[in-house]
Amino acid sequence: MTIDGQSVTVPPGTLIVEAAKNVGVEIPVFCYHHKLDPVGACRLCLVDIAPGPPRPQTACTTPVAPNMVIKTQSAMAVQARAEILEFELVNHPLDCPVCDKGGECPLQDFTFRHGYPTSRIDGPRLHFKKPIPLSANIALDRERCVLCYRCTRYYDEIAWEQELTTGQRGVQSFITSQFDQPLTSIFSGNIIDLCPVGALTSRVWRFESRPWDMTQTGSVCSKCAVGCSVTLWQRRGQLVRVTSRENDDIDEGWICDRGRFDYTDVNDPKRLRVPVVKGAGSTWNTAIDALAAGIKGKGPKLGISLPQDLTNEEAFLFRRLLDGPLKGAKVKMHGRTALPEPDPNQLLIKEIDDARVIVVVASDTEKDVPVVNLRIKKAVSKRGAQLIVVHPDGVDLDRNPHTVHVRNAAGSAAAEVEKLASHELLKSPGGPVAILFGDGHGSEDAADLAAACAELASKVGGKVMPLYRATNERGALDAGVAGWDKLDGVQALLSWGPPPTAGIPSSVKFLATWDHLQRPDHSRAAVVLPATTFAEQQGSYTNLEGRVQFLRPPIPVAEPLKESWEVLTELAVALGLELGYTGIFAVQRDAAQTLPGLADLAEPPSPTPVPTPVLIGPAHP
Amino acid sequence: MTVLSEHILEEIRDLPSKFPQPRSAVMPALDLAQEELGHLTPEAMTEVAHELQLDPGYVEGVATFYTLFHLAPTGKHRFYVCTNLSCMLRGADDVVARLKSEIGVHEPGEVSKDGLFSYEEVECLGACEYAPMCRVDHAYHYDLTPDSIARLVAERRNGGSAVAAPKKARAPRKRKADA
Repeated sequence: MTIDGQSVTVPPGTLIVEAAKNVGVEIPVFCYHHKLDPVGACRLCLVDIAPGPPRPQTACTTPVAPNMVIKTQSAMAVQARAEILEFELVNHPLDCPVCDKGGECPLQDFTFRHGYPTSRIDGPRLHFKKPIPLSANIALDRERCVLCYRCTRYYDEIAWEQELTTGQRGVQSFITSQFDQPLTSIFSGNIIDLCPVGALTSRVWRFESRPWDMTQTGSVCSKCAVGCSVTLWQRRGQLVRVTSRENDDIDEGWICDRGRFDYTDVNDPKRLRVPVVKGAGSTWNTAIDALAAGIKGKGPKLGISLPQDLTNEEAFLFRRLLDGPLKGAKVKMHGRTALPEPDPNQLLIKEIDDARVIVVVASDTEKDVPVVNLRIKKAVSKRGAQLIVVHPDGVDLDRNPHTVHVRNAAGSAAAEVEKLASHELLKSPGGPVAILFGDGHGSEDAADLAAACAELASKVGGKVMPLYRATNERGALDAGVAGWDKLDGVQALLSWGPPPTAGIPSSVKFLATWDHLQRPDHSRAAVVLPATTFAEQQGSYTNLEGRVQFLRPPIPVAEPLKESWEVLTELAVALGLELGYTGIFAVQRDAAQTLPGLADLAEPPSPTPVPTPVLIGPAHP
Repeated sequence: MTVLSEHILEEIRDLPSKFPQPRSAVMPALDLAQEELGHLTPEAMTEVAHELQLDPGYVEGVATFYTLFHLAPTGKHRFYVCTNLSCMLRGADDVVARLKSEIGVHEPGEVSKDGLFSYEEVECLGACEYAPMCRVDHAYHYDLTPDSIARLVAERRNGGSAVAAPKKARAPRKRKADA
């Protein structure tokens, strides 16, 4: 086929709008999104197709055919798009100077590139109350909306929810939340990225900055074990925005609201910046000496509490300390599951797409691994997979009426999984089976369950995926520091990250902490070290499928803050262990050679790739 | 305690089996709910959604799309007066004016003080040959005059029957072939 004189070959069924991307021809779209079903609502993608009727047709709903000749620049197509844009602007308030979308707004860009230079509209415009808070995080401006229905379609198709809907009809249509109640979905924030105009904007990042005032880096989310790709936006040393970054192996461009909105602690004006010893500001040397003196030689009377987002590098350095001067210490990692180390040939997230039957055991995936939950929904609703859930309570995946829900008594999941082998859906699944299992938040025997799932997988022909919850549980398991010890009775406690969820044991006489926020528990601490966050420090996480991904912090480490590998190396020296690392790459090289699970660390992080120019605005590839 | 009574819910539960797509039952279900309550409240829509295993947001979207689903209280007797072309040409304006003064309201959707009446101006109800016409309590009334609409109001105010007025016999239409 030919597009604007360039010949292009694409697989049958490809939509014209996608084929045009291959040859760098821009066909403007509002309603079309490559992850949503085409709908043809906005009519902006009109092109001239031959052979075909002598009128412009939508490129977003028309699949290619052999020898088709498409003209995007014929007089008819150019005029059709300009007139559609004129219609889109009939009720648009043109308040770009006060709109957060300004500068990255497809409506602005397309009007500039495809629209008429002046407006012929002088009649009254539709008016709505604005902005309407759709939830604590999202604001809706109905006047700016062009009714592309990306948001409601996303809710329906991807998130399987319908709390966002269209009210009224025709020219009076508007987007509304169910009975004007706040949105509750954990996936609500994605509609901000999806919105091609300024109708849905973030309230957390409201009137903060213009896109051209910020720098961005492509990093990894630190909130759970899925490890979604995110873009971190920095301005003047502040983390001002987190958006999704499409990675088809993991997140497909969706992130959850925890990853998107839960970042303001990075900018907290009360962040700890200097080391504190016994309540008074101090130098790093004094503080690290005081810390070493407090924890040296305590053996099992020392407790170490580790955060869920411990990096692989920190995990490796703790391994070195625990093998050396801190031998015998009790280690407890925040938020980790009881799941054992995984089978090396485990299921990958992208393989869920091809599963014919998906079995989810002992986990409400919406809460535990939100974006994997969306992957399961996609496999079911777009690829026709069957779904079996084994869980004592109702879960999010029950939104599909065809979900087979086996309600087990808490603790009996392993027995139920054994029975599943003879389930009618699994007798001849017709393709690979995906088995995902959690630990029921402690209610199930994780080892039994893992064995039962592995057995089921071998019987019916599938792979298993243990659903870890803590961000870097896999990396900590690989380094052998994903401790599960009880901290009761320890005399000294090193709390790396936030305090232990169960509170600080009363037996603790010496408390030292590395934390980025002030907390009430710190009044008891002898040493408080200021911590860097995911937006400042280098490092890597291993996600639940075993993929090592590197953080690319957008904010430089501001003196006197130090990166964690440096603090741990200095601590080791103070404890008498000379590590001799001069940079994080040295730590990573050493970790890769010493620990087989962290071998991927040897691959040095590639520099942030130069983003390929996208034709439809940065947040909407 | 549900806002819809048990027998209505029962009826709604039976609806999906009558359609190839279960969610097609949403409109007849909303109709049943509106019959019972007079208008659709968020609670009623939520109950309908629950019975049909749909999201309340979807049900709300459908309810706001159609003008014959009422989201605010209406009179016990709703007058749907056609003000489309044929009816307008044959005096629907006068009929509406008289109706407004009879039931004492100023605009469509407003409920009369006694709570008995409200009216809507609607587009074509498909009875142009009997213009002007209106629909009250599921029955069509034809060839309206200001006096006849006043009579319809009076009948209902006095608890009169809500039976459709008999159609007048009309001469058969001339077909093209006859001309």
